[in-house]
Amino acid sequence: MKAIECIGLNKVYGENVAVDSLSLVVEHNKMTGIIGPNGAGKTTLLKLIAGFLKATAGEMRVFGEAPFNNLRVSANAIFIDDRMVFPSSLCLDDICRMAARVYANWDHKLARGLLDYFALNPKLCHAHLSRGQKSTVNAILGLAAHCPLTIFDEPTLGMDVGVRRDFYRALLKDYMQHPRSILFSSHMLLEVEDILEDIVLLKDGYKVLHLPLPQLTEYAVGLAGNSDALCALTENREVLHTRQISSCFSYVVIKNDLKRGDLQQAQLSGVDITAVPAADLCVYLTEQRKGGIDDVFSQTKSVANR
Amino acid sequence: MRLDADTMKPIYLQIAEWLETQILSGKIACDEKVFSQYQLAEMFNINPATAAKGLSILADKGILYKKRGLGMFASPDAKAQILDQRKGEKLKHLVLELVLEAGRLGIAEAELTEMMRQANEELKGEVQS
Repeated sequence: MKAIECIGLNKVYGENVAVDSLSLVVEHNKMTGIIGPNGAGKTTLLKLIAGFLKATAGEMRVFGEAPFNNLRVSANAIFIDDRMVFPSSLCLDDICRMAARVYANWDHKLARGLLDYFALNPKLCHAHLSRGQKSTVNAILGLAAHCPLTIFDEPTLGMDVGVRRDFYRALLKDYMQHPRSILFSSHMLLEVEDILEDIVLLKDGYKVLHLPLPQLTEYAVGLAGNSDALCALTENREVLHTRQISSCFSYVVIKNDLKRGDLQQAQLSGVDITAVPAADLCVYLTEQRKGGIDDVFSQTKSVANR
Repeated sequence: MRLDADTMKPIYLQIAEWLETQILSGKIACDEKVFSQYQLAEMFNINPATAAKGLSILADKGILYKKRGLGMFASPDAKAQILDQRKGEKLKHLVLELVLEAGRLGIAEAELTEMMRQANEELKGEVQS
């Protein structure tokens, strides 16, 4: 069953094309990471899926229905981010009780257990919490709602590293006990990649790739060695990233389509072949800037030396 | 339990190797049930689909077999297979290193094979004497 299907989806804000003819199919009960740099369109896409925004053009179906202005989708989806607003008259306990009335699968025991674990007093008011605590409460609501479509948009903003680690584990355990479609956007892929099944990588509003994580880790290889030897190896290949390490030594990332003969040639010419971590690869595939941050400094330095 | 985040090996391969090591060390006997994808996911804090991929690699190699509705079990010859395979990998790697070093030293192929033959003979001689 398809949880989400969009075809040629567009969302335009004024001059800004936030989502650009995007087509995507997400099968039900998968945990999918939505990854991309700032301004890639992650939040807009997630809000379109949740039915919070109306697409400018294109088709979007969630559980087979258009999500905008759709009660059935609203009842089956929850959208968690750090900008959730609750009435200041409600304490955390009241919010949980409200959620129990709205969400059919609400797990009150889990919600109270997590609040207790993270030392969040249920009598506290949401507005009086710290930024990290607010994120934690929101994430707890997202978990305990057990919605068939659970969307987390950067849920860990403001959480300290210990809370983040606990939250990822809670998410994984809860997902295994109650399989459902989970979308998780983050720019910290390194932290979450282990618990994700698929990755959707966005850049400038379009989809760069949609792959299972194991495939992403084998998508590219890094070559390090003498610049001349690398030139010979990377000729006629798609180079994803280059970094000059010294005057004659470079690091190049290419698509992993090396044949056995290439590997031997690389070894013979003293080139080291290494795997490229998924998080690094996503950065390389979405790089906007030409060259690297080092270039900025080498330019300013040459000006200063004059 | 933690996986080694520093190694460049994909996690599903690390899972497969970890299971192989469990079998080699006798912690999992032949025809014994191995961990399910959910148990592995829980133990290593990874997505169950990734854990399943680790299991299916071993099933493809014949190190594990599936019993419908019961899960995955270690094959009767799992241990022998893993030993064979690891020996093969190690030796191949050493030979490659040898050939590379010979290349760097400018030793021709004939000379290299002669050196290997000699080394083999010396070993035999030592065993006999």
